[in-house]
Amino acid sequence: MPLSTPARIVSELASRGYNAEREAVTRLADAPDSAAALERALETVPDDALKLTVAHVDSVLDREESRADATARPGNSPQPNATPTDGGDPSVSTGTAASQSPDSHDRAPPETRGSRDVDLSKRAIEVANDMTGNSTGTGEYQDFVTVFRDRYEKLAGNLRGRVNHRPTDAIQNMAGGSEAALIGMVSDIRSTASGHWLVELEDTNGTFPCLVMKDRPIADLVQQLLLDEVIAVDGTLADDAGILFVDSLHFPDVPRTHKPSTADRHVQAALISDVHVGSQEFMADAWHRFTDWLHTPEAEHVEYLLIAGDMVEGVGVYPEQDKELDIVDIYEQYEAFSEYLKEVPGDMEIRMIPGNHDAVRLAEPQPGFDEELRGIMTAHDARVHSNPALVTVEGVTILMYHGVSLDEVIAELPDEEANYDEPHKAMYQLLKKRHVAPQYGGHTRLAPEDRDYLVMEEVPDVFHTGHVHKLGWGKYHNVLALNSGCWQAQTEFQKSVNIDPDAGFAPILDLDTLDMTVRKFA
Amino acid sequence: MREADERYFETLETELDAAMAVAERARERGGDPKPEVEIPTARDMADRVENILGIDGVAERVRELEGEMSREEAALELVDDFVDGSVGDYDTREGKIEGAVRTAVALLTEGVVAAPIEGIDRVELLENDDGTEFINVYYAGPIRSAGGTAQALSVLVADYARALLGIEQYEARQEEIGRYAEEIDLYDKDTGLQYSPKEKETKFIAEHMPIMLDGEATGDEEVSGYRDLERVDSNSARGGMCLVLAEGIALKAPKIQRYTRNLDEVDWPWLQDLIDGTIGESESEADDGAASDDASGDAAGDADGESGGADGDDEVADESEERPGPPRVDPAKKYLRDLIAGRPVFSHPSKSGGFRLRYGRARNHGFATAGVHPATMHLVDDFLATGTQIKTERPGKAAGVVPVDTIEGPTVRLANGDVRRIDDAEEALEVRNGVEKILDLGEYLVNFGEFVENNHPLAPASYTVEWWEQDFEAAGADVAAMRDSPHIDLADPSADEALEWATEYDAPLHPKYTYLWHDVSVEQMAALADAIEGAEVAATDGAVVRDDGDRRATTGDLVLSRSGPVQTALEHLLVEHTQDGDRLVVSDWLPLVRTLGFSRSLERDWTRSDISERAKTYGEGEATDAIGYSPEENDGDGLNAVLAVNEVSPFEVRERAPTRIGNRMGRPEKSERRDLSPAVHTLFPIGEAGGSQRSVADATKHADSMSETPGRVDVEVAHRRCPACGTETHEARCPECDQIAETVYVCPDCEMEVEPDESGRAECGRCETLASPTQYKELDLQSIYRDALETVGERETAFEKLKAVKGLTSAEKLPEPMEKGVLRAKHDVSAFKDGTVRYDMTDLPVTAVRPAELDVEPDRLRHLGYETDIHGDPLTRADQLVELKVQDIVLSDGAAEHMLKTADFVDDLLEQYYGLGPYYEFEEREELVGELVFGMAPHTSAATVGRVVGFTSAAVGYAHPYFHAAKRRNCDGDEDCVMLLMDGLLNFSKSYLPDKRGGQMDAPLVMSSRIDPSEIDDEAHNMDIMDTYPREFYEATRELADPAEVEDVMKIAEETLGTDREYTDFRHTHDTTNIAAGPDLSAYKTLGSMEDKMDAQLSISRKLRAVVESDVAERIIEYHFLPDLIGNLRAFSRQEVRCLDCGESYRRMPLTGDCRECGGRVNLTVHEGSVNKYIDTAIRVADEFGARDYTKQRLKILERSIESVFENDHNKQSGIADFM
Repeated sequence: MPLSTPARIVSELASRGYNAEREAVTRLADAPDSAAALERALETVPDDALKLTVAHVDSVLDREESRADATARPGNSPQPNATPTDGGDPSVSTGTAASQSPDSHDRAPPETRGSRDVDLSKRAIEVANDMTGNSTGTGEYQDFVTVFRDRYEKLAGNLRGRVNHRPTDAIQNMAGGSEAALIGMVSDIRSTASGHWLVELEDTNGTFPCLVMKDRPIADLVQQLLLDEVIAVDGTLADDAGILFVDSLHFPDVPRTHKPSTADRHVQAALISDVHVGSQEFMADAWHRFTDWLHTPEAEHVEYLLIAGDMVEGVGVYPEQDKELDIVDIYEQYEAFSEYLKEVPGDMEIRMIPGNHDAVRLAEPQPGFDEELRGIMTAHDARVHSNPALVTVEGVTILMYHGVSLDEVIAELPDEEANYDEPHKAMYQLLKKRHVAPQYGGHTRLAPEDRDYLVMEEVPDVFHTGHVHKLGWGKYHNVLALNSGCWQAQTEFQKSVNIDPDAGFAPILDLDTLDMTVRKFA
Repeated sequence: MREADERYFETLETELDAAMAVAERARERGGDPKPEVEIPTARDMADRVENILGIDGVAERVRELEGEMSREEAALELVDDFVDGSVGDYDTREGKIEGAVRTAVALLTEGVVAAPIEGIDRVELLENDDGTEFINVYYAGPIRSAGGTAQALSVLVADYARALLGIEQYEARQEEIGRYAEEIDLYDKDTGLQYSPKEKETKFIAEHMPIMLDGEATGDEEVSGYRDLERVDSNSARGGMCLVLAEGIALKAPKIQRYTRNLDEVDWPWLQDLIDGTIGESESEADDGAASDDASGDAAGDADGESGGADGDDEVADESEERPGPPRVDPAKKYLRDLIAGRPVFSHPSKSGGFRLRYGRARNHGFATAGVHPATMHLVDDFLATGTQIKTERPGKAAGVVPVDTIEGPTVRLANGDVRRIDDAEEALEVRNGVEKILDLGEYLVNFGEFVENNHPLAPASYTVEWWEQDFEAAGADVAAMRDSPHIDLADPSADEALEWATEYDAPLHPKYTYLWHDVSVEQMAALADAIEGAEVAATDGAVVRDDGDRRATTGDLVLSRSGPVQTALEHLLVEHTQDGDRLVVSDWLPLVRTLGFSRSLERDWTRSDISERAKTYGEGEATDAIGYSPEENDGDGLNAVLAVNEVSPFEVRERAPTRIGNRMGRPEKSERRDLSPAVHTLFPIGEAGGSQRSVADATKHADSMSETPGRVDVEVAHRRCPACGTETHEARCPECDQIAETVYVCPDCEMEVEPDESGRAECGRCETLASPTQYKELDLQSIYRDALETVGERETAFEKLKAVKGLTSAEKLPEPMEKGVLRAKHDVSAFKDGTVRYDMTDLPVTAVRPAELDVEPDRLRHLGYETDIHGDPLTRADQLVELKVQDIVLSDGAAEHMLKTADFVDDLLEQYYGLGPYYEFEEREELVGELVFGMAPHTSAATVGRVVGFTSAAVGYAHPYFHAAKRRNCDGDEDCVMLLMDGLLNFSKSYLPDKRGGQMDAPLVMSSRIDPSEIDDEAHNMDIMDTYPREFYEATRELADPAEVEDVMKIAEETLGTDREYTDFRHTHDTTNIAAGPDLSAYKTLGSMEDKMDAQLSISRKLRAVVESDVAERIIEYHFLPDLIGNLRAFSRQEVRCLDCGESYRRMPLTGDCRECGGRVNLTVHEGSVNKYIDTAIRVADEFGARDYTKQRLKILERSIESVFENDHNKQSGIADFM
């Protein structure tokens, strides 16, 4: 919606307390990714400035361009309008694992294996959205209200530029038959007796019913809706102004023009999850092959290891779990995991978030480990951030989220939109909703904090999840969505519900190109 | 039938007819939905079946067939009738099948349960992928009450009808097969199945099933794969279907096969594979050739094997030749599952010190009950009371506890070290505070019939007087003469007598002096013998006589020097003794020392080396896999000293109590009025106007705003019209001319009136929607209330508060006349959903009673036909025992009081509302005796007429087992209700029943006026009715014989069916002084908080020798605290919120923060307090009682999760948690 962009920029600036020169707004609106440009302009604006100047915007835009030039690689120029699904799946390396990795029998013990020859000074890693140690919610009613309001405000901010939002109480007083638009949190979805969809949207003033006719093309979008996500609708009021007939429906979404950032040098990260140490089904051999491979020249550029949760199998996750545990003591499980982690090259930068099997609270956001658990995890100064966390590795922002909500997305949405065999498609839905776990009250648990940590305020370059034990990846509006598999062979439970896990894979991400290779170690 | 029985039933029926006549007159006058009584009387099963189904002609046909064939065969025979249209009036093929299936289920459930009407929703014709038609049977949850066999047969009946009608078989699609498997697994996890078929089995059944099984969704949990199937409506588990497939087809395959074999049209060859359990091994085997012959051969073998318990039944020890141990049944710990805080474990599986199995039936016993000594009830801190349910190790799963004081009581060690057996409830109360350890819980009476019913191999019997007498007689003693001799008490002989009999007749030692040698090791026995060798005999005053010359004295007490092994040995043997400093003093010691091969002068002629190798290594005592078994304590072989003792003893010594039975508390007993929640006096709708109390008085003053007239409420009520004058009304009768009004059906779409068709369905011909029989109408509550008070002539001060309902749940929403509510409120009784007043009680059986214990005069009973006692002597005294008649019941005190109130209400109703004379006019409780009541169980739709015969202080409803069986209850903790006859007749109406699944359950759609023993649940026929059990029986128990093997020497009620004696001769082997002995209420009900209950539970677990306290603690945490904590924490993070002011609830917190409806304050529904209420207790219990580290860690993680959610990281209080 290019026409509304200047207006959007102005309102965005206003909401952050800035004024701007008219020309500066025009420049920003004309920029290829105006949202990003605006963000960057605001980040770099001097603290004391109240007005955004043309000069400042120009300087930001210049830097932006030169950076894009530097990272663009010949023959692999980004195609801004490429459709999300044919982003070109990277190929899976199916080369025989045995030939790639040295014989595991004569491996040197981990502690004697030296670090590789890498230049640590070039490394850069930053973490945002980590609430570990900052859980301030006390489980009061008001905490919940704060979280949902924060969600609404943040996501509505993304949608304001696209529709002319009228508060629900204002719409109620509008004349019947007039055009109206509304940004709201979905509070109810029902089908009427005649098969139309009645979507109740809520803002901070109240709720308003919106009707999506079944024969409209947007009716399909209703099938993709989850409760408590925030959307915008445009339409016409009924004659009695009691209901809005929806003409168009918008998700916060990732801009199609989104241009991912990349690293300045050839460096790689291994993105794995669901190790499940302590389970009888943990695939130690595959893990050894993986860590052995990390010591080979082929893996010399793999300098980062990111683990998206479920490091251990945990205790008491399901009834009578102790009977299927290899290590029954939770602390010993982490000790064992720490030992396994020592097998990776000593220089590797390791970042993790907890999952639903880890010994932290299940309600999201999940804080990272407390001191006792951190004390056990001595290897490599491994850091455990909260779930979700936004990890920026040499410029590439990677949203790490364990993925409990994927179960719900897959259960609620039609099969073609989300299924277990293509977990990345479910992730596209989350990207589209700009929230890692929108639906409240069902499968996913929520712990109220001072804000909604589960909103994707910033568009990540990579979205990394696990939990469903299936491997799948693809690009959605240039964002790489990856669900890494697991390191746990099929469990009895999975057998009974016919889930065939993708175990023993390690997706390797080129941080300079965002190309991905999947290596198999099982 | 005897003449006396005929007279009895005629008395009941005459009384019933008289009451009916009064009720009919009343109903003609009042504002009831129908001008006649709505509970039809059924004299037999055929009547009930027809009444419950409402299909004419069924009863007649059933009676014709009944004489010729079994009920199952009759059900199949009826299919022909339905198909050719000679029974039932169905035009469509699916209708015919539906009729046949419902009738079959009704027939197999004796026309009592609701399954045939509620459990089968419909039958429909669908299309296979090749275009042919197949049958789909749509089941609903209440099919559960039909039981597996009837469920399975319903499918067979449907298939038979299908074959007769020439409809094709169902060809399941692959995804449907997968769905069945996943869904049954889901249902099993979520709800639980009695039998969980393996995935392969389910798929195999689904593949071969000629009928599609479908059903209503019963749970919220959805399948994750195999969703949105074209021919399956729901993604949730369909409970009815799961039950039919798993507990019906899969579990009852052998039974169905018996019937498929007789039907040419129906061929289910695949059942054989199911029975053989070979599924998955040779699925390709399709031809009926040699393979299938082999299979049936195997099946026959299996059938035999099953009874022997050879395969599958892991509870039973396999008695191999090599094992040198005594006969024992293996411990089973299933009953410990899902242990709940506050409900104690009385004994771990088969653990010594637990209840000792004694065979016999007391007069208040049988039919899933367990006889326990009243002293035991008191000593377990009153946790056991009459009617308390216990979950038990064997022979069944659960039993109701009954007091029996003719069995042995518990043995305890007091704080002063004395060991005493307590055989008296009074004594138990006196010593209770001084009990340090309960060494033995006493005997546990189980009747032979329990083993028959549960098809459980007999467990070795305790050596008791009734067995010994027969051994003694077999040894040549003239027992009959001794029994008559005034000088001899066969049950309680002196030591000299016992020793003389044992030696003179070469009979086993009398049980009174037979100690529990199997509970001590050879080592302990030898230690005891050594101690006896060095013992002294002291004068009876306790002072030890140190004179060597007197050491060989034969009078006085045996004084042993005290040492650990000796003391343990005496305690485990249950030898009563006292402790005096370093000495243990045994008074009646002669049999003990004689048993150990000593002479009177404490000399022996054996040494430890004389004991044979076999005896030294005999037995395992407790099984090594038992809970709480510690190898250190039970080191080595020879844990059972009984062989060793027999080698040194001059006479035979039997195993005194070889079978111990573990159990724990299940549900507490119940005797409470049944109130809806909140209690309701009248089924009249007042919307929200009455507030949360639903007060009519409040509603008359309520107005939504100042401008509205108070007391006007908009409610959905019936829409009716007077056929005479055309006046429209919401009431049953025309307010103008008192005619019965007729329901008006209006199409909700086109607002046209619709005439209902013959089946009562009113569908709009134009819109094809169902027309509604209701209307929204503004009612003037003020005038209705005023008029009601006026009609019955009562003032508002006559009652505290009149409570009505928010809205009506019935289909036609016909309100009850408010006058009835006024009178109910006046007498403090409340209405159930069907308009009746009910009282719930735990069921217990009794076959013979004493007037004294029923608080009724013998005279009164004589008037009721109790002319003679069980010996045939005229009934004159209150302590005589009389045989209870089958429809007579004993009310608990609470029930009697409630019935008196109900009677007053009924009298007022007749006088003040119906304008007739009073019916009951009771002044005293005793006048209730002889009055008729209805007995009515949940999940059933038929009431049984009973007659009050007396009262009991126990919180239970005692009645003849046949009466309970007629209601389809047994007595393992089941409860059901009684209603006063006239209340049911006057106030029950089908029109009030909720229009939803299960609405017809627990409603008296029909009543049985007399019990035909052949037409009740056959579980009651397995009750034994003998005076004594024969010696062959006791001996067979030591062979772990199948109950069927001793059938010839035993007599169960089944044998009298169809004879003259079918209503009499319910003999018992054990009497009891009072059927209400022991505590009146279980401590579970008298203790206040959950924490108090749990502390009491743990304190008992410490006191009981047979209980491993750490296991109890572990289980409480695992099955109670952890699920509670986890569940509440989960609930917190996905909770709904509710407005504190208007009660509106929201799925999610509103963004406005305040209530969207009223602007009021919204708050959480799950608070921190409900999440963490048990965490501290759980951690304390885990530490104190030594739970596993795994459990402790789970608690610790949970504690931290709770902290993480509820505590602010920035201002954490430093607390205990920081130091742990």
